[in-house]
Order: sequence, then structure tokens, then C-alpha cells
Amino acid sequence: MELPNIYKGNYKLLMIPPIIMILISLYFIPQIKMGVDFQGGTLITLALKEPISADTLSSELKSEGLDAKVQVYKTTVGDKAEIEVPQSQDLVKAEYLRNNFTALLPTVSDLEVRAYRDPNYTAQFNEENQKLNAIADQMFLLAKLDRSKMNITGSNDLEKYFSSAYSTVYKNYELSVSVPIDKYVKYDSISVQTVSPVLSSHFIGQAVNVVLFCAFLSVVLVFLFFRDIVPSIAVLTGSIADITIAMGGMGIFGIPFTLQSFAALLMLIGFSLDTDILLTTRLLKRRGNPRDNAYDAMKTGVTMSIMALVSFMALFVLAMLTHIDTYYEISAVALAGLVGDIVATWGINAVVVLNHKESMGDK
Amino acid sequence: MDFYTDKKFIFMVALFILAAAGLVFFPRLAGLILIGSLIIFGAFALSWKEPHIKLSGMALLVLLALLNIYVNGIKFGIDFSGGTRIPVILDKAVDDATMADLVKTIKTRASVLGLTEVKVQAIGNTEINVEIPSSDEATISLIETTLSHQGVYQGIVDGKLAVSGDRIFSSSIKPLDSAELTQQGADWGVAFAVDQAGAEQFAEAAKGKADYPIYMYLDRPHDVAIFYERVQFRKDMMADAGEKESLKALNDALKFEGDSIPIYIVEDMDANFSAPNNHTKAIVSVNMSKAAKDSIVAKGFILEEINASMVTPTYSRTRSGVLMLDKLEISGLLTAPILSGGITNGIPNYNYVVTGSVQATNPADKAKEAQNRVKEIESILKGGSLPVQISLGSRTSLPASLGAESLRLSVIAIVLSLLTIAILIGLRYRDIAATLPIVLISLAEFIILVSILGSFTIDLAAMAGILAAIGVGVDAQIVITDELLKKDEEHKTSEKIDLAFGIIKTNAIVAIFSMVPLLFSGLVEVIGFAISTILGALLGYLLTRPAYAALVEKVLDAEKKGIIGGSEGSEKSPGIGF
Repeated sequence: MELPNIYKGNYKLLMIPPIIMILISLYFIPQIKMGVDFQGGTLITLALKEPISADTLSSELKSEGLDAKVQVYKTTVGDKAEIEVPQSQDLVKAEYLRNNFTALLPTVSDLEVRAYRDPNYTAQFNEENQKLNAIADQMFLLAKLDRSKMNITGSNDLEKYFSSAYSTVYKNYELSVSVPIDKYVKYDSISVQTVSPVLSSHFIGQAVNVVLFCAFLSVVLVFLFFRDIVPSIAVLTGSIADITIAMGGMGIFGIPFTLQSFAALLMLIGFSLDTDILLTTRLLKRRGNPRDNAYDAMKTGVTMSIMALVSFMALFVLAMLTHIDTYYEISAVALAGLVGDIVATWGINAVVVLNHKESMGDK
Repeated sequence: MDFYTDKKFIFMVALFILAAAGLVFFPRLAGLILIGSLIIFGAFALSWKEPHIKLSGMALLVLLALLNIYVNGIKFGIDFSGGTRIPVILDKAVDDATMADLVKTIKTRASVLGLTEVKVQAIGNTEINVEIPSSDEATISLIETTLSHQGVYQGIVDGKLAVSGDRIFSSSIKPLDSAELTQQGADWGVAFAVDQAGAEQFAEAAKGKADYPIYMYLDRPHDVAIFYERVQFRKDMMADAGEKESLKALNDALKFEGDSIPIYIVEDMDANFSAPNNHTKAIVSVNMSKAAKDSIVAKGFILEEINASMVTPTYSRTRSGVLMLDKLEISGLLTAPILSGGITNGIPNYNYVVTGSVQATNPADKAKEAQNRVKEIESILKGGSLPVQISLGSRTSLPASLGAESLRLSVIAIVLSLLTIAILIGLRYRDIAATLPIVLISLAEFIILVSILGSFTIDLAAMAGILAAIGVGVDAQIVITDELLKKDEEHKTSEKIDLAFGIIKTNAIVAIFSMVPLLFSGLVEVIGFAISTILGALLGYLLTRPAYAALVEKVLDAEKKGIIGGSEGSEKSPGIGF
């Protein structure tokens, strides 16, 4: 299968398709949905005993006061339903209160003990204790518990009631989700994934760290290998273009941003570097006509990408059949990214490095 | 030269036998042994140039991988094997060390129930996932109660309750610093404070009880009696103590207003002795003779057999020489420090310290022992070994049939993708000599990956990683093949391979580094994916690619010379260097 060498003639025109794709992607990136991992909330996955309609279930749940997004899938392993419930404001507030309470508690207990022995501390203790009680009262209100029924003599008792009030808020939220579902749905298996606000912000923090560290490492590595600034920048541009196109794909095809799709994006950085390095090595470290070398590199690189496309396609088909989210998110992102990689590497990187090589040759 | 008489080859076989023995005898370390073998054989393949070393390195690793799968099996996550996942939500965010402690404690708690297959994993710094390979309702609720159980601490002085856990300010429980220790003249110490009610209770119970032990109990059981056979009881006594004295020490420690735990010697039960009611439990060692057990049951007790170490008492003598009980795990008695005179005058006191000395003499052991004691006392006072409050989230149950179906489909997908790749490679090169090695090597890579990951756990993310590794795995082989097939008269075959390896080395390093940050991020949902990608790259760089280059070069050379099939390993190719 001999194709004409696309690097003969005015190869700079090759940059047009990737640039168009990047522009389209930039438009769609803001439309990426956040999954529960990063947004917080609850995702319930059910293997259904009998088929139901998503719309019916959605309105049934709404009548119970549960504003949930329902999707029903037919898969080879039976019908599946996914119910997504947004982050509960009560839960966010409860967590905020709990953090404040735990931070203040040691001070208050300490003052309480001091005040027993030395009345000079009483005023200070009363002041701090009032603050602590104010936080606790908000929590009791959230948990719909009646403080007058509690036997609270000091911060020690308060801590116990506070803790159980927090559990109540959490349990109430879970019940508000599970009770209506149990009422309307018959299922074989249920998976409930609740990501709390603390956990989701932890995930976001970690994800950002990982990306920054990863980007830094790749640039340093590439610079070490080629000792030349232009290919390093080209490689970085190529990766960014690749990730942008992959994320554009996520926006267009409605692939949510979750830990799984995030991992797939990171893998794409590695993969995009693979083809970039192949190209740069063949162009800079080899004699002969650069344009022929670029074309040769492309033949090898595109074969590589196609092989990877094939195995992710297998994963994708599997995901379509079973509707296993992990498979779907990883494969869909990888497919979009690999297509993006072919276009970006051979449209942008190849052009930049080839131009660099030819201008070096002129000197 | 016959390669099987080669010293290097014999050395590798010796290592292979060693690793194989490791896999059989230390199944827990199987994954690490395989990774170790991968790195060692890989290092050989890189540093020794002979093609047969490269090929046999890979072949031996595949054999090890197959052996591991055959002997130890493959472990699957609940997504494939079915089971139940229970999220444990922590009261507050904890640091890494505390998290590691928590995971360990929860594992121990679960394994006490005989559930060794329990998997405990930290998710971020506020959550822990507990997975059990069972969907049985009774097992799950047993686990749930065990996990959510918060222990009850009781400090008992001379049969009276002196301190109870709910009167202690939990934030006040702290180890003493070195200045305070010097002041107390102790090796270790833990301070805590109680509230008003607690102070009054202690003052009353401890009044006039200087030099009495305070028996510290965690979850003291109700309505039980403990039975020993005379021979066993005597065996556990201190060398200088008598039977009567030891029995008294036990009864003193276990007495408590209205709920004493009585101790009986089976041989001394008289004819009209019987259980106080029909639900009193008789605690005995599993080692007790059948006759003795039967005689206890005949008295109307419900028999409960316990691990021998849990019913073995530990004694000591006070400074004045009185024999006392220090520890009897099954009763919840964990330690018994002595009350110092200053706090036994009946005046309410809010701050307390528990101090002690250690046996060890060398400074390092001393510090370690002191630290262990501090941890132990802290956790007893806090009412259990968990340093934070926990609550349980909604559990996920997956029936085994559904998991098996996912697994079956995943395997089909893997086979299909291998087949498709084989066909595409065949179309691209139209050369069976170049295609067959790629397919064989991909298969070898797949077996090794599954074996390594299966020694840990294959979950959804790891399975996706394996599939990805198959696709990406052929990439480097394509680079080599393209390089070798190129009509380039300037370079010799060995130089072409050098060029290809430059690219592959760079790629492998970059691929590994782009996934390493994920590995250390603590995002367990995707760690399986990161591990399979990294292992795939490592495996490729160290073993399969060199092996592939050796193989394909030989085959192509043979073709050029017009010899069909080539003759494996019997002739040395001209110096291939990496």
C-alpha cells in the first residue's frame, strides 16, 4: 500500500487539518461532563431484574423528591440502569461543620479541664464552648435532632452527639437515595458510589499534581534525549494538541471526566510522545533526504497508531456490549486521542521538525 | 557451540529454578518474584549479546508466568469474581501513616473472623474500601458490625469502675514528651483528661487504693465464665507461684460489681455446680480435651472455644511481692498499671498519666518498646485500635454470575484484538517470517502481564491496561521490523537494530515516566491501569524487544541467504550491540 509522500511540495499546508480539529475541540471542551469522582455526588448502577423506562423511573423518583438523572441500557449481561444524584448540599455543609468542630474541639476540652481547677479560665472556656455549641447546633438542625432530648454536660458528651448527628446526616442522604430506588426498581445487583466533597477535592488536587509532574518530566526527558530546544517544544505542542483533541472528543461524545478517563488522557501523553520521538529521531539523527525520512517515519508511526486503535476498539466494543463504565471511558478517550495523535503528529510536529531540519541544512 | 552447555545459560536456568521454587513456596510474594525475575533476566538480555540468551530469558519468564498461574491461580477483583464492597468513611482526613495503620487494623479485624480473602484499600485520605469475595448476607453483616464496632474502655480498681471511656476527652489522650518523662522518672507515658463526672467517679473508686493495680479492659464480655484444665493452668503459672495464689490473682482482677468473670478448674467442679443461667458462655481453649468440654456442656454452659493464646493469663508481681494478673486477652484485660499514691486521696482529679518502664536495655530497642506501649495504651483509652471515628457507606454487591460474564467477554475481546492485530500485521508486511514473531511475542507478553497482575488483583482498570498493553506492545516491534526491512545499503543489520533500539529505549522511558506519577498518587481506582502500562513498557524494553530483534534478524538473514526457516541458536549472529 504505497501512498504518495505527503511531505513533497508545500508541506506547511498539512498544519491546516490539525488546527481545524483543535479549534473544534476547544469549542467542545467546556461541554465535558464531570463524573462523580471530580464533582462529588452519588452514582448508582443497577443490574435490573425487569426492564424499566428511564423516563418513567426519573419521574417516579422526582415524585419522591429525588432529582436524579436516569439512564437505562440494554447490554449482553442484562439491562442496566445508571442513576446519578448530584451532591447533597446538606452533606457539603455537614462536612464543613465537622471540619470546624474537630478543629475547635481540642481547645475547648483543654479549657474545660483547666476551668475545673482554675476559675480564671472559666470566661475563656465559656466563650470557646459557645462557639463549639453553635457549630453543633447547626449540625443537629441538619440531622433534624432535638437538642433538648440530649443529656449534654460538657464538650465530651457534645462530641459524641455531634458524631452521631453527622452519621445521621450521612445516613439520611443515603436513605433519601436508596428508599425511592428500592420502591420502584427490582434489581439483581446494586453498586452505590458516593464521592464526598472532601474526596472529590482530594481527587482534583491529586489529578492536577499528576498532570503537572507528568508534563514537566516529559519535557525534561525529551530535552535530555535530543539536546535541542525546537524538538522539545514540538513534542510538547504535539502532546498538548493530542490531549486537546481527545478532550474535544470527550465533549462531543459525552464521555464524562472521571479518574478512568483521566488515566487514559495520561496514557495518551505517553503514546503521543512515542510517535513524536520516532519522528524526531528519524529526522534529526539520520542521513538522507529529510522529506523521505519524514515519510518513512509516518509509515511506521501510522502502523503503530493503527495497532493501538485496534486494541482500544476491542475494548470499546466490549464496553458497548457490557456497558462497563471503566472500559468505556478508557477506550473512548484513547480512540479519540489516537485519531488526534495521527493528525497532530504528522500535521504539526512533522512540519515543525522538518522545517527546523531543512533550515539547519541551509546553514 | 551448543547453547545448553553455555555457562551463562546454565546460570539463568539456575536462577529460573530458584524463582520457580519461590513461586511455589512463597505464593504471597509471587508478584514480586515475577517482577524481580523480569528485571534480572532483562538485565542479562541487555548486557549479554548472545541471541540465545535474549530468547531464553523471555522463554524462561513465560514458563515462570505459566507456572505461577498454574500453582497460584489468578486473583480477580470483585468486578470479575463477584462479591461485596463496603466503603468505610473516616471521621476526618488522616495522614499517610495513620491511613496505613487503619488499613492494617481493619485487615486484622476482618481476618479475626476467618475472612482471609478480605481486601482493604485506602481511597484518598478519607475513605477505605473493604472488599470481600462473598455476597452472603450473614457474612456481610458480620463484617459490617465488626468494622463499625467502637470499643468500650473500662478501668477497674478493686472491683469498682474507676474510669470509663465515655468520660475521657478523646482529644486529651497524648503521649508524654521527654521532659515530662524525665520528671515522672518513666520510660513511657500517656496523659489523658476526664470530665467532671469522670473525675468524681475515679476519686471515689480509687480512694485509699494506693499501689492497687487499675485493670484496663477493652470490651469486657458479659455473662461468661472461663474454664481451665488443671495441667494447663499450672503450666501457665509463674514459676514461683502456687495454684491457689494464681487463682486468687485471676479472681481479683476479674471481679466487678455484679458482673464478675468467674474462673474454674474443670477437675474441681462439684456435682451440684451448674451454669447460673442458660445463656452463660463457657470460654475454653481449643486445646481442651473432649472429656473436659463435655463435662462443661453437661453443666448447662454454652461452650465457646478460643485460640489458646487468648485464654493464657500473664502474671507479674507488684513491688511488695503480691501476685497479680497483667493480661488475659479473652476477658478484655489488656494491661494493669499500678495506681500511684498521689491520686488515691479521694479528691477529684482531672488529669492523669499512665507511665511505665521497659525491659529492653539497648537504646534502639528501648525506644521501640516504649513507642509500642504508648500506642497500645492510647488505643485502649480511645476505645479500640482505630484512631478516628468511622462510618460505613452503602455497600455494592455483585453476583458472581455477572462478574464471570464480564470476565468471559473481556477474554473474548483480548483474543479478538490479538487476532485483528495479527491479520493487520500480516497485511502490512506480507511476510510470514516478520509477522509470526510479532504475534508470538505479543502472546508471551500477554501471559507474563496476566501472571504478574493476577498475583495482585486484576480489576477493571488492570484489565483495560492489559488490553492497552497488547496494542501498544506491538509498536516497538513495528519500529524494529520497519527498520530492518528498509532498503538501506549504508547500514548493516546490526546498525539498523541499534537505530531502532534508540527509539524504543526513549519511548519506553517516556511511557514509564508518564505513568509513574499516577502510581504514587494514591488514586487506587486507576493504579491497576498504571501498573499494567508500566509493566508493559518495562517488559518490552528489557525482554521481549531484544528477543524479538534476535528472532526476526535471524529469520530475515536466513531468508536472504535462501535458507528457509533458519537454524535457531546454533550459529552466532555478528555482534549485535545495544
